[in-house]
Amino acid sequence: MAIIMPRQTSTYLLICVLAVMSVFYSLSFGAIDISFSTLINWFTQSLGFNSHVDVIEARIIEELRLPRLILAFLAGAGLSLAGAVLQMVTRNPLADPYLFGISSGASFGAVLIIALLSGYGALWLDQDLMQLGITGGAFIGSALSVVLVLAFAGNGLQIERMLLAGVAVSFMFAAATSLVLYQIDAQAVSALLFWTMGSFTRANWDNLGMPVFIVLLCLVLFLGFSRQMRAALAGDENARSLGVEIHRLRISMLLLSSLMTAVLVANSGGIGFVGLMIPHIIRRVMLRFSRFFFFSCALFGGCFMVWIDVLARTLMDDQELPIGIITAAIGSFFFLLVLRQRTRRT
Amino acid sequence: MSPDQQAPLLQVNKISWSAEKRPILQHIQFSIQPGSFVGLIGPNGAGKSSLMRCLYGVNRPDQGEILFRGKDIWRCSPKENARKIAVILQEQSEHLGLSVYEVVALALTPHKTLFEWDNAEDHQRILLVLQEHDLLPFKQRLFAHLSGGEKQRVMLARAMLQGPELLIMDEPTNHLDVHYQLEVLQKVRRQVRAGQLTVLASFHDLNLAAAFCDQIIVLQHGKITAHGSPSEVLTETMISEVFQTCAWVDQHPLDKHPRITYGYHHA
Repeated sequence: MAIIMPRQTSTYLLICVLAVMSVFYSLSFGAIDISFSTLINWFTQSLGFNSHVDVIEARIIEELRLPRLILAFLAGAGLSLAGAVLQMVTRNPLADPYLFGISSGASFGAVLIIALLSGYGALWLDQDLMQLGITGGAFIGSALSVVLVLAFAGNGLQIERMLLAGVAVSFMFAAATSLVLYQIDAQAVSALLFWTMGSFTRANWDNLGMPVFIVLLCLVLFLGFSRQMRAALAGDENARSLGVEIHRLRISMLLLSSLMTAVLVANSGGIGFVGLMIPHIIRRVMLRFSRFFFFSCALFGGCFMVWIDVLARTLMDDQELPIGIITAAIGSFFFLLVLRQRTRRT
Repeated sequence: MSPDQQAPLLQVNKISWSAEKRPILQHIQFSIQPGSFVGLIGPNGAGKSSLMRCLYGVNRPDQGEILFRGKDIWRCSPKENARKIAVILQEQSEHLGLSVYEVVALALTPHKTLFEWDNAEDHQRILLVLQEHDLLPFKQRLFAHLSGGEKQRVMLARAMLQGPELLIMDEPTNHLDVHYQLEVLQKVRRQVRAGQLTVLASFHDLNLAAAFCDQIIVLQHGKITAHGSPSEVLTETMISEVFQTCAWVDQHPLDKHPRITYGYHHA
């Protein structure tokens, strides 16, 4: 499966540049096609050069597609990072924020806050505070599901037990989410779809600040702790003998990942399997955990999600698909592939 | 040079440790002189691994103290201890997805701060240690795909790169064929002779312990029952009492250490 092996930094840089360019190109896809030359014109114009762009097209790019692209990129980057960290600190190659119930915990927390606020507080709370409350609820929900998964899985971090506990917790929170949604509105199907399958339709410039901040913060912290997390892969006793305070590391990294997942879920709903796939592919292609590992997960996870979003918007003519349908379709296939490899080896 | 003239490197003062209220170790007391090779023997379940876990910071003793150069290791940070004490565990975990190079590079963990990457000099040091242990051809291979002997060599390379004063090895010859058993122990022994290392290792094979150790500690039911040079400790009486096995002890024909012959068919 190793397609490209960027052992040299120059090859790696080239691939990074190509990835970023592909993200830029993705702006041309949507209900209205915008040509590549128009994109270039728009870009040079926003850099301050003198070039002409149609006002409507410029507005479509700036107000609709660009914030959506940024949110999709952040969600992809953040979920991949969260998946990579979960896989490392729990030594579980099948870990993913969605499969571990973290996303559904976050969804539940967010929905519960919305339900409570729509009843009592919506009149006097402004939009920013509302969003902060939803994010806070999502974080509590996600942290709770981490605690539950670890508690149910018991000591020893057994891969299968953690996975089963994750699935159980995930179903539990998904059921609770549906219940709350139907309490608010008996026709809450579209909201339910958003919280369980994800979508980037809510993207706008006003609510991008928090995701940008949290994804960057996590990326920096994960880079800082990457050596310790690699030591965690060697097993708890080994890590301990190498001077790593393994329990403290595991808890803090899990909480950070669930915080990041919570912020992303509060903005784009629950999107699965990205965190499972991207770190695996990066590891395959790069062959080892170089210092670029986390950076690559963020970059390529982001690019991946942007293109999945393009697919979601263009696959069906007059309708947008929930993003999670596509990631789950690709991801579950990928999951089975990893599972088969594991069983063959043991 | 008598060992008593030097301050001990490691001093274990009356430690006790219990698991789920069952006492495993009771009032263990011994010390290790710098530059010595100390063996730990005893039947299965005597507490050898538990004792070693106390020394590298996994089992916290209920009582007593463990002093490394006079400082209590349970009052130092794990990182500080890891710069002085390296460990080779008995069973190696999968090291999920790590290559041989990366496993060896983990040795630098206690020597680095959070945002400090490996520099060119570190890279050279890692390559050198890989070369010294004949691991260069394997450096990109996955650790999980190696044979038992190769894994043990990787762990030894890692322990050496960690640059410890004390090396703790739990059953270092487990899973190894005769060739690798001797190779690993001879390598470690050379370092000890050169005055660069002190070793505490547990053994099941009494002949290996006799051949390589300066001192041997016998552990039985969580207590030390004997401690001394191989010829003092490895006697027919001790073997029959501690291991409940009939054996004859004479001298190795080439070296002077004791040689143990078991009565396989003569109880």
